[in-house]
Amino acid sequence: MLKIENLTKVYPNGTVALKNVSFEVPDGEFLVVIGLSGSGKSTLLRCINRLIEPTEGKVYWDKTDITAASPTELLHIRQHIGMVFQQFNLVRRSSVMTNVLSGRLGYANPWLSLLNIWPEEEKRRAMQALERVGIPDKAYSRADTLSGGQQQRVGIARALMQEPKFILADEPVASLDPVLSHSILQYLEQLNKEGITVICSLHFLDLVHRYATRVVGLKDGLKVFEGTATEIDRAKFKEIYGEEAQEVRATTV
Amino acid sequence: MNKKHSPVLAGILSTFIPGLGQFYAGLRYRGVAVLLGMLFTSGIVAWYGKPIWYLAPVLIWLWNIWDAICAARQGRTFSVLLPILFGFVAMFGIGLAVVGVDFSKADINRAIAIMRPMFHPDFIQKRAESNQAWVEVMVPCLPGRSVSGINEENGKKVTITPTCADIGEALTITASGFWPNTDANLWWEDPSGSVKMIGPGEAAMLVAHTDGSGTLTASFKVPTTATIAVPDVTQSPPHRVYLEQTRLLGGFELSYVGGRVLQGALQTIGMALMATALAILLAIPVSFLAARNLMSGNPFTYAIYFIVRTLLNILRSIEPLIIAIVFVVIVGLGPFAGVLALAVHSVAALAKLYSEVIEGIDPGPIEAIRATGANWVQVVRYAVIPQIVPPFTAFTIYRWDINVRSATIIGFVGGGGIGFLLIELIRINNFRGVGALFITIAVIVMLLDYFSAKIRERLV
Amino acid sequence: MDNRPTPGKITLNIILGLLIVAAFAISWRVTDVDFVKLAKNLPNGKDIILAFLTPDFFTHDKTTITIETPFPIPCGSAPEAEIPLSGPRLVPSIMCADPKVKFILEGFNMAPNSDVVVRWNMPDGRVLTAVQATTDAKGHFTSEVESRPIAAAVNGVAAKLAVETLTSIGNLKPSQAAHDVLAAMFVTFFMALLSTTFATIIAAPLSFLAASNVTKRGPVGTTIYYISRSVFNLLRSYDPLVMATIFGFWLSFGSFPGFLALTVVTIASLGKLFSEAVEGIDSGPLEALQATGANRFQVVVYGIIPQVVPNFISFIIYHWDINIRISTIIGFVGGGGIGYYLSQKINLLNYHQAGTAIWAIVIVVWAMDFLSSEVRKRLT
Repeated sequence: MLKIENLTKVYPNGTVALKNVSFEVPDGEFLVVIGLSGSGKSTLLRCINRLIEPTEGKVYWDKTDITAASPTELLHIRQHIGMVFQQFNLVRRSSVMTNVLSGRLGYANPWLSLLNIWPEEEKRRAMQALERVGIPDKAYSRADTLSGGQQQRVGIARALMQEPKFILADEPVASLDPVLSHSILQYLEQLNKEGITVICSLHFLDLVHRYATRVVGLKDGLKVFEGTATEIDRAKFKEIYGEEAQEVRATTV
Repeated sequence: MNKKHSPVLAGILSTFIPGLGQFYAGLRYRGVAVLLGMLFTSGIVAWYGKPIWYLAPVLIWLWNIWDAICAARQGRTFSVLLPILFGFVAMFGIGLAVVGVDFSKADINRAIAIMRPMFHPDFIQKRAESNQAWVEVMVPCLPGRSVSGINEENGKKVTITPTCADIGEALTITASGFWPNTDANLWWEDPSGSVKMIGPGEAAMLVAHTDGSGTLTASFKVPTTATIAVPDVTQSPPHRVYLEQTRLLGGFELSYVGGRVLQGALQTIGMALMATALAILLAIPVSFLAARNLMSGNPFTYAIYFIVRTLLNILRSIEPLIIAIVFVVIVGLGPFAGVLALAVHSVAALAKLYSEVIEGIDPGPIEAIRATGANWVQVVRYAVIPQIVPPFTAFTIYRWDINVRSATIIGFVGGGGIGFLLIELIRINNFRGVGALFITIAVIVMLLDYFSAKIRERLV
Repeated sequence: MDNRPTPGKITLNIILGLLIVAAFAISWRVTDVDFVKLAKNLPNGKDIILAFLTPDFFTHDKTTITIETPFPIPCGSAPEAEIPLSGPRLVPSIMCADPKVKFILEGFNMAPNSDVVVRWNMPDGRVLTAVQATTDAKGHFTSEVESRPIAAAVNGVAAKLAVETLTSIGNLKPSQAAHDVLAAMFVTFFMALLSTTFATIIAAPLSFLAASNVTKRGPVGTTIYYISRSVFNLLRSYDPLVMATIFGFWLSFGSFPGFLALTVVTIASLGKLFSEAVEGIDSGPLEALQATGANRFQVVVYGIIPQVVPNFISFIIYHWDINIRISTIIGFVGGGGIGYYLSQKINLLNYHQAGTAIWAIVIVVWAMDFLSSEVRKRLT
């Protein structure tokens, strides 16, 4: 259970990205965060694992206060939170294998890992992760030789290596075409069914309807909506995205 | 690998000619690289001649055989890290010996002694005025050769008694008409012009204080190091005793060395400016001859293109410092030789860059302007010049920047500017002056760097 | 943007133009530019340029040989000489003579520009000087010789006109200068190699201190960032030759101070380039690594290093190229290597040997330039 209380983030340049946002995420949920670009979705996700330090407010994970964790504790917490990014954030010149293994850095022997030496056990797990996302044959290719969809699968495999309790996905499909979007989200859905909580920010209403168990809407840093996926209709969507916003429909599979 | 290669054959091939086995196994580049690397390492080791380093080519050779076998067997190769490591270890062992790297020679105390005055640069000094006078004295006493022992000028009067003495004998000097209540330094200057101290132990200045009426009296001995002109003592000219008072006027002024440093800096910048200007004038026409797209029309122009390119490449490989040697012979020492040397090198460098700009012109706009019915001049004005002027300017400013740096050293071979002064200051051990010079170089180069980067940012 | 000229802009442009004109006028004065002098003195440069263009690369083994031509006095007292048609030879205008007759003696293919002594080698072994002469650039001389009564033939054996000269024998081989230049070039090569490597080893870790995205955090980090950046910029502003003057004074002449000076400047220059490469990396992967709970070192090793290594290598090769160039001239200020050889030969006015060094420099610099640009093209 993840609990967010009165989360506020003010950037040093004065931009208020989040204002007093509170909600709860019970275990096993597929929570989708929606909102315009700049509405605070990315900031919200990054405040959960403190890639961005919140200005005020608390994030509790079960009984642990993430916002109060010491640097060492924070590393430990992050080891259990997988993250998937819009731009995949792979090291483009490293091999797929190294990228996937890097998800395991928090668990690895700090000295051996600096020399890129990994136990066979870890390599086997990395291959399994790649098999799960369907690209075991690419293990020794350089990451930048892969297509966008394949790179995002590597991103998911990297998150899987962490054996995460939940996954933060920051617009995981915004850089992909609709068909690929579904295949990526289906992997996330699969993981969700296996018991991993997923917090995901999305843009398209039909994707929200199709995958979300619950939805949080943000507008200018404020939480403007919280409810189930079915509660969100076109009118609500317009409200969140503003009048001019057009609902772009991703192709259904 | 689809084709099957015999590992044995690959191994044998590589045993006799390193790299041939890899070549046979289909890894062409690797084969050539192995051969070249092997030849290079063996060449260096053979030139140096110490047997221990032969280990490196031998190890690389062994690796190469193994690598060829692996390459033929599975198409997957062995890490190249190992032979590179062998090669590097040998190169460094030899290199350290050849270059004579010996950090035990690096005497820190001597470095500190050199650096300390550099941190008190001789740039500005407190403004002061001085009041100087001298009197002649004969050493030793000789019949028929005497001096008056009195010198009067500008209202100052200096008297010395006796008027002649031998080394180690006492003298008394009296002076009047000086500034009252001020310290005066006294020193000895022998006929060769070298200065001797006459203070305690002949190691310090003798200092005397004037009274309220500007008069002083001081006693000292003829310094033991006062040279007596040999072989003919009887012809020795008189020695001199100097008195000097200094008083501060308040405020600061540029010191003598500081002035020369600034002059040198001005000359250095001027040299770079003139050289760049000359280079532009020559490089623009030359660059058209060196542009492939303009010159590849027929064999004759292509020949010109080829010759011009080759000449430019050769000239570009010769440092301005070396070119300056020739110009020093032609026009003599001085900044003009430096200007010419920098200009010749810059012509070669700029013409190459300019010609690359011309080669890279986008034909689209030319076609478009021509399609509007414009004549040749209009096409050049509206389609060609707008494309080439910004990169030309950027390259030129960049070149000027480089030329200023080069101009700082062209003086080492007599090309004038700040380098000439640097050599001179080091030769006379004036490291306070060197400090001033280093500050000036840093300021000029950093300012220039900053502004040229700003201007180029705007242009590109 | 409004590009119409306004009175303010026009004034600004006029002032800028005047400033530029003034700068050129001052430069013209302080640099003693004098093209008339250049045109008038241009012939002075002919010798040095010609010498540079005819470098001393190869030589023949030289040996002293004696050329002898029998010359019967009087005619018929002994067989006349048969004169070869090529090679070093002495050719008298007449093949024999009575005593006290004057004739012309020519010498061909002797050592050029040298003094020769022509002697009479008499049958009884005595020697008499016949004439002294100086050969021209082709090794030719002409002089008048008198047939001396004392050199008359004895028992049918004629006295011989003899001259000693140097001549080339054997095949072409590299000259002493070529040997010396090669040896000096090796020193130069190693100076560049060692300085580039040492500088890389030192600059690579230091460059992270001067990268804003790594270091510029908190007051301590920001201070370190600015200090390291300033030090790099300061040291970079000196030409390695300027540094070498100081190092040369400190450590006395040789390739060691040259190497140190090059190393110091290269550290600064590479440090700056490296830090810019580190600043230019994609921060996404770093964020991803942080999100997995990786520590700082792991982020550097897995996120930063793979991204910067290709740039680093490209910069190192680029600098290796520059350092080869500089180490060819660093010897002018006591840095050792080929520059030292060159400056010595120039001071001794041995321009042919200097030419050898210059050509060697041109070839090496050219080759390195080509190699490094090829390798860098491959890398990117």
